[in-house]
Amino acid sequence: MNAPQKNRMTPIKRIVTVGGKELTDVWRDRRTMLLTLLMATAAGPVFLALILNMAANQAERARELKLPVDGAGNAPALIAFLERQQVAIVPAPADYEARIRNGDLDVVLSIDAEFERDVAAGRPATVRLIYDRSRDRARAAIDSAESLLRAYNRQWGTQRLLLRGIAPQVASPLDAQGVDLATPQQSGALILFLVAYYGLFASLMGSVAVALDATAGERERGSLEPLLATPLSTSQLAVGKWLAIGAFDLLVVLLTLAGFYLTLNFAPLPAIGVPFLFGSAELVRFVAILLPLMMLLPAVLLYVGLRGRTLKEAQSNVSALVFVVSIVPVVQLFLQKKEPAWLLWVPVSSQYTLLTRALRGDAIAFADWLQSATLPVLLTIVALLAAARLLRREDAFAGR
Amino acid sequence: MIVVDGLIKAFGRRREIRAVDGATFVAGDGAITGLLGPNGAGKTTVLRMLATLIPPDAGVAAVDGLDIVRERARVRERIGVLSDARGLYARLTARENVRYYGRLHGLGGTALEARIDALLGQLGLAALADRRTQGFSQGEKMKVAIARALVHDPATIMLDEPTSGLDVMSIRSLREQLRSLRTSGKCILISTHVMQEVALLCDRIVILGHGRVQAAGTGAELLARTGEGSLEDAFVSLLGSAEGLAA
Repeated sequence: MNAPQKNRMTPIKRIVTVGGKELTDVWRDRRTMLLTLLMATAAGPVFLALILNMAANQAERARELKLPVDGAGNAPALIAFLERQQVAIVPAPADYEARIRNGDLDVVLSIDAEFERDVAAGRPATVRLIYDRSRDRARAAIDSAESLLRAYNRQWGTQRLLLRGIAPQVASPLDAQGVDLATPQQSGALILFLVAYYGLFASLMGSVAVALDATAGERERGSLEPLLATPLSTSQLAVGKWLAIGAFDLLVVLLTLAGFYLTLNFAPLPAIGVPFLFGSAELVRFVAILLPLMMLLPAVLLYVGLRGRTLKEAQSNVSALVFVVSIVPVVQLFLQKKEPAWLLWVPVSSQYTLLTRALRGDAIAFADWLQSATLPVLLTIVALLAAARLLRREDAFAGR
Repeated sequence: MIVVDGLIKAFGRRREIRAVDGATFVAGDGAITGLLGPNGAGKTTVLRMLATLIPPDAGVAAVDGLDIVRERARVRERIGVLSDARGLYARLTARENVRYYGRLHGLGGTALEARIDALLGQLGLAALADRRTQGFSQGEKMKVAIARALVHDPATIMLDEPTSGLDVMSIRSLREQLRSLRTSGKCILISTHVMQEVALLCDRIVILGHGRVQAAGTGAELLARTGEGSLEDAFVSLLGSAEGLAA
């Protein structure tokens, strides 16, 4: 047996060797691979289609209001007004309160039996709108029924004033005008949130399976001990694994975003007047914004995975991390305040902020991006050093 | 050549378990040295220290004159280790498993492939070379792990229980290979608790008990020293009968 020729081994070469092996390894794990990639490509578009359909339905409901009326005969003038406004009047069923409660009906108009008599006597006549405001789906119908009643009230009042020779302006000294500054892209806040959230989530979920396999999995299979007896240094090992996890993460993020891009630009989606931009410019911005996270999360997962004594322990540690990362944007959404400036320093939070900005069609200032990337980059280095240190511990390869 | 002088290693929260307690021995080049001892004698811990996997608490050891703590990186280049844990990457083929270690040792190209073919051939794995190790038998996995440890043609070879899980034919062929490596001047250290293995293979025997070297020498020397007729009896007598067996 001839002694093989050994080459001088640079650290970079060793790192590339480790990374290459890890990628081959994960690529061969077909089931995990398919599941992750399928979820990345398909789930986004499916989600989006559902949300958009919901929004479209809501718009439809508002436009073609079908209003069940109880006691339509009590106020023929009001009914005529509503019909002129394209409202379809149907008789309300007897058990309409129960039906509203269980969601079968959105809103019912009930006209008081004393309506005509009150009007004749100069008293305000009573009409009731019955609804359950806690139902999101019903909100559009409720709003339009209310505004129709207000409009009728105003019209009637104006006619009475004119009849008495008073200019209608006398009765309305205040002219309140709302100026909506939202560009078409700025509406559709929920969809906006979901797309940003999903992009963020992809950069986390893309690396979990690979990271666990390369850390706790490697130890549990008993392949870490012989590996640590090779000339490979622990930092080379950590960086090599990190690069592999990161590369896979990038793939998952790109697939997820491509799914959104294709869905929003080419899929036959219902026309709901609240489109936002997700063209190629936004795609590139998304990748750029998520880049610091695609460095940080694999590094943190590497560390967390190595900390777990067993695969199971590592898994539960990772779920804790997943929870923290996924709750941040939700908290931000519910705070509903203008973000304080320092938030751009906070990893995950800053990325979410920038993602929503990009979706609104705002340009991302390089300074802002740099600010959002600073801590992730620093923390990535810290996590990698900590992971290498864990591998150097004398109980690194044992299950402890 | 491996020189071990007064190695001490303790485990436990208060370092109360002395796994290795002042081991001293030498394993020469061109020889097969057997580290023989009952379960828990400290064989694996000694090998782990020599493989630079864990640092000793006290004492020194050197591989070819290189200190196992201070010159750890250079020691690793010179040793081939079959460690206690010998897990393979199940989704990689036998060849890919061995190739990974070859690359980490700075090998590559056709030279590496030729080396892998030769090693797997000698171990009788040629037909399985390009199959994933997922479904391999215990013995087949062991052979891949041995090939992986030898891929860079190390001057010093340390094998922890290399015959466990192997069938008779495989053990015989492994023995032959180790003898041929000895002929080419390698320093070979194997740990085992199988008496027969030691008798058939080892030039020198180091008997470990309670973390200390109880005796060392050739088989004949140990027999002469104890006045026993078989190596097994000599082993028991050297470990202090009851104490040795209880351990």
